[in-house]
Amino acid sequence: MRIGIDVGGTHTDAVVMDGETVRLAHKALTSADIITGIRTALRHLQAEGTDMRAIEAVMIGTTQFTNAVIERRGLAKVGAIRIGLPSGRGMPPKLGWPGDLSTALGDSVHMLHGGYLYDGQPLSQIDEAEIDAVIEDLTSRSLKTAAITSAFSPMNAEPESYLAERLRAAIPGLQLTLSHSIGRVGLLERENAALLNASLLSFADRVVDAFEQAAIDFSLTCPVYVSQNDGTLMQKEFVREFPALTFSSGPTNSLRGAAKLTGLQDAIVIDIGGTTSDIGVLKGGFPRESNMVVEVGGVRTNFRMPDIQAIGLGGGSLVLDEGRTIGPQSVGHDLVTKALVFGGDTLTATDIIVAAGRAEVGDPTAVADLSSELVAMALTTMQTILEDGLRAMKTSHEPVPVILVGGGAILAPETLAGASKVYRPENSGVANAIGASIALIGGEAERFVNYAETDRETALADVTKAATDVAVSAGAVPASIRTTDLEETIIPYMDNGAARVRVKVVGDVASLNTPAGESP
Amino acid sequence: MILDVDDLADLSAGAAFLATGGGGDPYLTYLSACEGLRKYGPADLLAPEEIADDALVVAVGAVGAPTTSLELLPSVDESIQVLEAYKSLTGRKVDAVVSFEIGGGNSLIPIVAAAANGIPVIDGDGMGRALPEATMMTYALAGIAPTSAVALDYRGEAELIEADTTEAYEALIRAFALERGGMALSAEFQMTGAQMKSCIVPNTVSLSKALGQALREGNGSAQQRSARLAEVFEPSIYGAFKNLYSGIVSDVSTSVQGGFDVGKAVISPLIEDGRAPLYIDIRNEYLTARQGDAVLASVPDLITILDFETAQPINAERLRYGQRVSVFAIGCPAHYQTDHALGVVSPRAFGFDFDYVPLMR
Repeated sequence: MRIGIDVGGTHTDAVVMDGETVRLAHKALTSADIITGIRTALRHLQAEGTDMRAIEAVMIGTTQFTNAVIERRGLAKVGAIRIGLPSGRGMPPKLGWPGDLSTALGDSVHMLHGGYLYDGQPLSQIDEAEIDAVIEDLTSRSLKTAAITSAFSPMNAEPESYLAERLRAAIPGLQLTLSHSIGRVGLLERENAALLNASLLSFADRVVDAFEQAAIDFSLTCPVYVSQNDGTLMQKEFVREFPALTFSSGPTNSLRGAAKLTGLQDAIVIDIGGTTSDIGVLKGGFPRESNMVVEVGGVRTNFRMPDIQAIGLGGGSLVLDEGRTIGPQSVGHDLVTKALVFGGDTLTATDIIVAAGRAEVGDPTAVADLSSELVAMALTTMQTILEDGLRAMKTSHEPVPVILVGGGAILAPETLAGASKVYRPENSGVANAIGASIALIGGEAERFVNYAETDRETALADVTKAATDVAVSAGAVPASIRTTDLEETIIPYMDNGAARVRVKVVGDVASLNTPAGESP
Repeated sequence: MILDVDDLADLSAGAAFLATGGGGDPYLTYLSACEGLRKYGPADLLAPEEIADDALVVAVGAVGAPTTSLELLPSVDESIQVLEAYKSLTGRKVDAVVSFEIGGGNSLIPIVAAAANGIPVIDGDGMGRALPEATMMTYALAGIAPTSAVALDYRGEAELIEADTTEAYEALIRAFALERGGMALSAEFQMTGAQMKSCIVPNTVSLSKALGQALREGNGSAQQRSARLAEVFEPSIYGAFKNLYSGIVSDVSTSVQGGFDVGKAVISPLIEDGRAPLYIDIRNEYLTARQGDAVLASVPDLITILDFETAQPINAERLRYGQRVSVFAIGCPAHYQTDHALGVVSPRAFGFDFDYVPLMR
C-alpha cells in the first residue's frame, strides 16, 4: 500500500492506495507550518485503521514552492552572479522580472568576466579581484545564498564550479545553485531557474525537515518521494537541492489523478480549488506540456511543465457587483470561517452554490435570504468564466470530455458549452493526492557521443538504454518505460560529429513487494 | 511614425514570424532593445520615400550562428558603438539606418541604433524575411557594394572590412563572427537614399508590427488564427498564405557548420492518421517543406513554424522533440522572383535538386 499526500495552498489531502484502489481518503486544511496539516491527515488515516508499517512508499506532491514564488513569500535574498562579461553589458540578471519579485531576491547583482565561447575558447579571463568583490558584497550583506550562471555552462561548467569553490571557501555555509545543474542551453532562462531555485533553498530545508519529522512521528520507515513538474518522483533529499523542480507538480498530479479516476486518456481537466481553477489537457493519459518558455511568477524559465491555464474562480472567490463579478479575489483558505454558510460575513462562490441548492455545505439557512436574481446572475457568471477558460484550452471545435476535480468542483454546472460530457468522478476532491501516489519513476542519462564513430540511431539507443537502467534500478517496471525527452547538443569545437545527448525516460513504480525488474 | 518601448513587443513578435526559423532569439533582442529605447529615447520610423535621394544610408544588424546568441548576450551600448566605429573607421557620417533583414532580432537592432544616434530608421528591409547570407539581400542583388563595412565583436572591438565582392565580404564577416564567439554586429551596404528606394523591400517594419498585433489579438490554436493572419499577408507584397501541416516534432537535429545552424526536422501527425511526415530542411532558416516526393514550399517563399496551441513562432534553435506545431508557408516579395534573384535564393542555390515553384494564392 502507498500513501499519496497533496499539500495545496488550501487543503492537505491524503489517500491510502492499495494497488489501483483508493482505500481511504482524507481532506485536511493546510496549516501555516505545513506539518500540522500533514500530521492531521496522517492521524486520520491511522485512526481509520491504516497500518503504517504496511505502507511501502509515501508520495508527496506540494505546491508550496510554486506558491512561495507566486506570492513572493519565504524567499531568501540571493546573490545573483553571472559570468560572461564583456558580453551582455547593460543586461544584468533579473532584467525583465516583475519588480516585486526582483526586490524579494535583493539587489546583490554581479556580472563578472570569465566563461567560455561556443568553440571552447575563453570568452574572457576570470578576474580574481572581481571574485573578491563578490565575496565582500555577499559577506557585508550577510547573504547565505547565491546563484551562479556562466555563459555556455551546459557545455563547460568549469567557471561555475570554480567560482562556487572560491565562494564556499570564503563563506562557510553558503548555499549555492549552479545553473548547469538545473537548466539547459539558453542563458537567461537557465539563470532565472537557478535564481528561483536558490531563493527557495532555505525554505526547502524546513519543508523536508517537516516531512522527515512527520515520517518519524508515524513510524513510516518506507521511502518518501516528492513529485516533480514532469510527473516523476524524486527522493526527498533531492528537494533540499532542487526545490524548483517541484514547480507545477500540483497540476501534473491533478491531471494524472483525473485520468486514473475516469480511465479517460484524452480529456480536459478542470481542477477547481479555493482561489483558482486550473485547466489542463490530458493527451494519452499525460498532461499536455507547454511548448513555450514557461513563466513562473512572471519569470521566464525553461522547465518542462504542463500547459495550464489558471483562471480566477474557486470556492472562495468573492461575489461582487450583484453577481456580475466573481473573483479573482478570494478568501482562500479562510473559506471555512469567512463564507456565509460557515458563519462568516463574506459572500463567496460556495455560498451561491449552496443557495442554489446545488450542494450541501455548511449552514444553508445562512444564505436563505439571498435574492434569486443575485444567485441566478452569479451562476451565469461562473458558467461563463469556466466556458471561456475551456474554449481557450481547446484546440478544435469538436466537443471534448471534461473531468472536474478539486474541492471546488461543485461550482461547475451539469453541462458546459464545448464539453461532450462532464465527468465528476468519485474521490475527485483528492485527485491530486491520487496523482501523486501514481507518479512515475524517472531515469535520466547524459553522454558525450561521437557520430563519426557511432551512427546516431545506435548512439541514441545506447543513451536511452542507460536511462532505462537508471529508472529500473530506482524501482520502475521495465515494460512500462517510455522516452519523454531527448535532447541533443552538438559540441562544434570538439571532433566533428561530437554531441551531448540527454535522454529522460519514465516508468510506473513497481510494487515494492515485486522485485524491481519484474512486471507486477 | 514614432517607435517607442511599447511598440517593441508586437514588432518583435511579427519579426519572429517573418524570421522563418532563423534570426536569433527574439526575446533577447527584444529585452536589449527595450533597454536601449529606455536609455536613448524613441526612434523615428520614416517611409523609404521620405528619405532624401542623396542621404547616406547604412544597413545595421547582427551576423552569426543563432544558437550562440542564446548564451552570448547582446550589449545595450553596441548599437551606439557600431555607428561610432563606422564613422571613425570610414570617416563617413550616417544619415539614416535600415534593417538588412526584418526576420528576427535584426528588425530591432537598427531601431535602437537610430534612437541611440539620433537619426531615422527606414520602414523596410533587404530581405522581407530572414535568409542566411549577405549575397541574398535585395541590396546585394541590386548591385550595391557591401563594403566599406565595419564589424563589432562582443568585446566592443571593431574592424574595417573591405572586399571586392559580396561573396568575399560574406566570408570575411562570417570568419570575423566565428573567431569572436559566433556573433558580431555590422554596419554595411552603404547606399544613397535613391539606391535604397530602388531595392528595399518596403513597409516591412510596419507590417511586422501589424502581424504582431494580429498574433496578440488572436484566439485559439494556430490553425484557428490562420484567417486573421491571412488578412495581414494577402493584401501585402507577400500575397499567398497557407497552413501546410500540423503535427508533432518527432526528430530534430542541427549542428553548427561553417557558421550556420544546419539540420533537419521531422514533423509527424499528432494522431496516426495516415499522413506522411513533413520534412523541414534547416540552414539557420526553414528552407524547404517536403512530404514524400512533393515539395510543399521552398525558399525564397517563407516557411514558419508556430506553436500549435499558442500560435507563437518557434525558431529552429528552440524546436524540440515532442512539440506540437503548425507549419505555414507565405509567398515571397516580387524582389525574389526574378531569374537574377533566383540564381541566389532558389532551392538549387541552396544545393537542393529541384526548382522553385511559387506558392499559389
